[in-house]
Amino acid sequence: MSETATNTAKNTDQSYWQQVRRRYRKSRLAVLAMRFLAVLIFVAVFADFLANEKPIYCKIDGESYFPIFREYAVDLGLAGWPPALRDNQWNDTTRCSVKILALIPYSANTPDYANTYKGPFAEQKVKSRRYRHWLGTGNLGIDVAAGMIRGTRVALLVGIISMGIATLIGLFLGALAGFFGDNGFKISRIRLWLNLLGLPFAVFYAFVPRWYYLLEGAQLGWEWLRALGTFALIMALLNALAYVLRSWEPLSRKVTIPLDLLIMRLIETRNAIPGLILLLAFLAIIQKPSILNVMLIIGLISWTGIARFVRGELLRIRQLEYIEAMRALGLSNWRILVRHALPNALTPVLITISFGIAGAVLAEAGLSFLSIGLPPEEISWGKLLAGSRSNISAWWLATFPGFGIFITVTVFNLIGETLSEALNPRATE
Amino acid sequence: MLRYLLKRILIFIPTLFVISLLVFGLNRLAPGDPIQTCLPITDDPNLERTEAAYARVAHQYGYDLPVFYFSFTAAAYPDTLHRILNRDERETVTKLTGQFGNWPLVQDYYREVRQINRQIYYLPDSLDRNGIIDFRRISELLRVLYQPDRIDFQFKTLEDVLNRFPDLNQHLADDLQRLSGSFTLLKRGKRTDLLYRPAFYWHGRQNQYHRWASRFVRGDFGTSCLSGRKVADLLRVPLYWTGIMNILALVITFVVSIFLGTRMAVRRNGWFDRLSGLLLFIFYSLPTFWIGTMLIIFFTTPEYGMKWFASVGLGNLPTGAPFWDRFWEAANHLILPVFCLTYGGLAFVSRQMRGGMLDVLQRDYIRTARAKGLDERKVVWKHAFRNAVFPMITMVALILPAVIAGSVIIEMIFSIPGMGRNLFEAIIRKDWNVVYTIVMLAAILTMIGNLVADMLYVLADPRVTFANRSRQ
Repeated sequence: MSETATNTAKNTDQSYWQQVRRRYRKSRLAVLAMRFLAVLIFVAVFADFLANEKPIYCKIDGESYFPIFREYAVDLGLAGWPPALRDNQWNDTTRCSVKILALIPYSANTPDYANTYKGPFAEQKVKSRRYRHWLGTGNLGIDVAAGMIRGTRVALLVGIISMGIATLIGLFLGALAGFFGDNGFKISRIRLWLNLLGLPFAVFYAFVPRWYYLLEGAQLGWEWLRALGTFALIMALLNALAYVLRSWEPLSRKVTIPLDLLIMRLIETRNAIPGLILLLAFLAIIQKPSILNVMLIIGLISWTGIARFVRGELLRIRQLEYIEAMRALGLSNWRILVRHALPNALTPVLITISFGIAGAVLAEAGLSFLSIGLPPEEISWGKLLAGSRSNISAWWLATFPGFGIFITVTVFNLIGETLSEALNPRATE
Repeated sequence: MLRYLLKRILIFIPTLFVISLLVFGLNRLAPGDPIQTCLPITDDPNLERTEAAYARVAHQYGYDLPVFYFSFTAAAYPDTLHRILNRDERETVTKLTGQFGNWPLVQDYYREVRQINRQIYYLPDSLDRNGIIDFRRISELLRVLYQPDRIDFQFKTLEDVLNRFPDLNQHLADDLQRLSGSFTLLKRGKRTDLLYRPAFYWHGRQNQYHRWASRFVRGDFGTSCLSGRKVADLLRVPLYWTGIMNILALVITFVVSIFLGTRMAVRRNGWFDRLSGLLLFIFYSLPTFWIGTMLIIFFTTPEYGMKWFASVGLGNLPTGAPFWDRFWEAANHLILPVFCLTYGGLAFVSRQMRGGMLDVLQRDYIRTARAKGLDERKVVWKHAFRNAVFPMITMVALILPAVIAGSVIIEMIFSIPGMGRNLFEAIIRKDWNVVYTIVMLAAILTMIGNLVADMLYVLADPRVTFANRSRQ
């Protein structure tokens, strides 16, 4: 990648990224996809202001309130509800003398018992056009438009964070496998033995004595910190010991660890079980469903694609001349890897990440569709879509959420697709 | 060739071992008592009979064995923890030990808890029912309580109950005294040092994992807890339907994509190429569960006046019905699900085919063929096609896991009693032997698919040798 970049940059006086941008812009669809992505991100970030049963601004008895902002403060524990807003049924905002409502004056789970399963074009029992359910309602009269907006946030959050986790794992393992290969990773014998023997004990002392407090204790965060600290301390001590003992010749003999082989086996093992089945199995048995678990497990499952990709890139890069030059200069392996080799493999990873986000969004939607993973009170596109199965005549429940999923997945697929063309101009010639 | 095959199969073993550990570990992670799921539902009031049935079922499914070959825990825990069959009890005792570290005292306390619960069953009938009910509700709660403050609080509540019902007090006061006494002892006798002493217990081959794995290897998949049938029998029909659906989907995907890809490559950048490229891209991004739901809503119900296909399920013709009737019935029900399984793969496979074909069409020998005046159709279908089609073999392996997983959701949507639906229900209802079997089969199938694809690849292209293939 870097080669091509520097060559072409010399020729045209344009920076690498300018070139990529120019090539990317050639595809009108892809530019459109970027704009769609901007809209999706906007909706996700400002979801609370776009659809909320609370008004953005409300004046009660001459006093001004901003209930949505206030809710953020209350959630963060910075403030409490003022007496005037406490126990306020927000479906009835008549108490506000002046008010600014959110675009959709419903939250994703605001029930409206007067209008259950009302279509977008059906007659609805609402106060005024301002309160109309533009995309219809579902079970208990929840507003589909509000659900769509909330769902955008859930989908993007799951997509981006789970791919973030997957990228971290994939980059790490892929880089190790690709850069060191089967023969490049050598450590002294004593260090290998101490690490292998010490690991079970480090795990033991870190977690076993306090496992009850790790799961049930009053200060969970502190307990976990202590456990991880203990683990790190024991491992550090062992490695320090290995460093000291290394001076004795028989212990210092080097052992080669076939990192590539080990990591490829790991990838193969993971890939042998279809991802969705693994997801189902893990999420269905989790006691407390939460969006965090969904992100974590999707992330832990989908790193293999990135790892393979990075491995392939590094296998190529490590044979380039500039790496050899670094070696000749006496730089350590780790320094070369982190400072010089890995940065050149990063850009193409964007392609895999983009496709990965599409996959994660799809996975989350599929799981919610099977009502697995998310807690009951959380609304997502998949859940809305599943709602259509209990009421066949509610076509709007199937159409809009599905379209949301489709658009998001297409946007990320298109971006990935065009990026791969923009980053590898030779491949498309 | 044989050596390569052997080597690959040998590599399977550690992979399968790790997968089996993972799948087996799921059972441990899952909440709920696995023995309880296997118990037939009865409301037999007799405590001894219920407990005996419980122990029998636990023994039948091997839950009375240690979990794995060894355990590595703190010395505070005994090596016989697995003998406590009831999962709630086991977890409560473990949690108590996790706090106090003194196993004998925990045992003493818990024996008292059990004793008092047992005592209630044998009280004379002349006593006040309300008092017994109140007392029992709390003493049963004590079986799963492990937080010291809550336990103390419940002791107080029990005392209150006894004060309110004096005749109950006569029978139970001593027991309650002993119970709270044993708990005070436990609180005083903390041995947290034992929690810091590692202990390694070797359980030998008599363990749950070994039992399950050795039977699995011999082809005995165990019994399904919920239905009481052999898993192998239970899964025969689901395997048949899933097999039919997936094979049909794979065949259709490949046949359509190969022709589509070839046509797209031949008229590269023509209207056909661009249009199908766009359509395929859209297909690729369309979630199957969305399309499936939409198809069901619009085309299988009379609601919108387009009831063109049979509704979900497989119909209910008796098995004795004439073959062709059953065939049409099944076909009518399978069209939509198979379509859903097919369209997603189309984009992926036809794009590969297009790429391969484009590559071949640039080769010299094609130019030669054209130069000697061969008909263009012959050039494409006879010379180029053969060479372009063979890399597609590996695609089967790549697409296989996706199809297996994809059919889970499709089977759920269309209510087809296949493997996916069975897996889903088994996971939700904790029918572990069924879960183990299906996941292991999916893994084995995926690995065999990979292997077969690799073998075919080498057989089809003499330039590729096993040596350089295995290094990839």
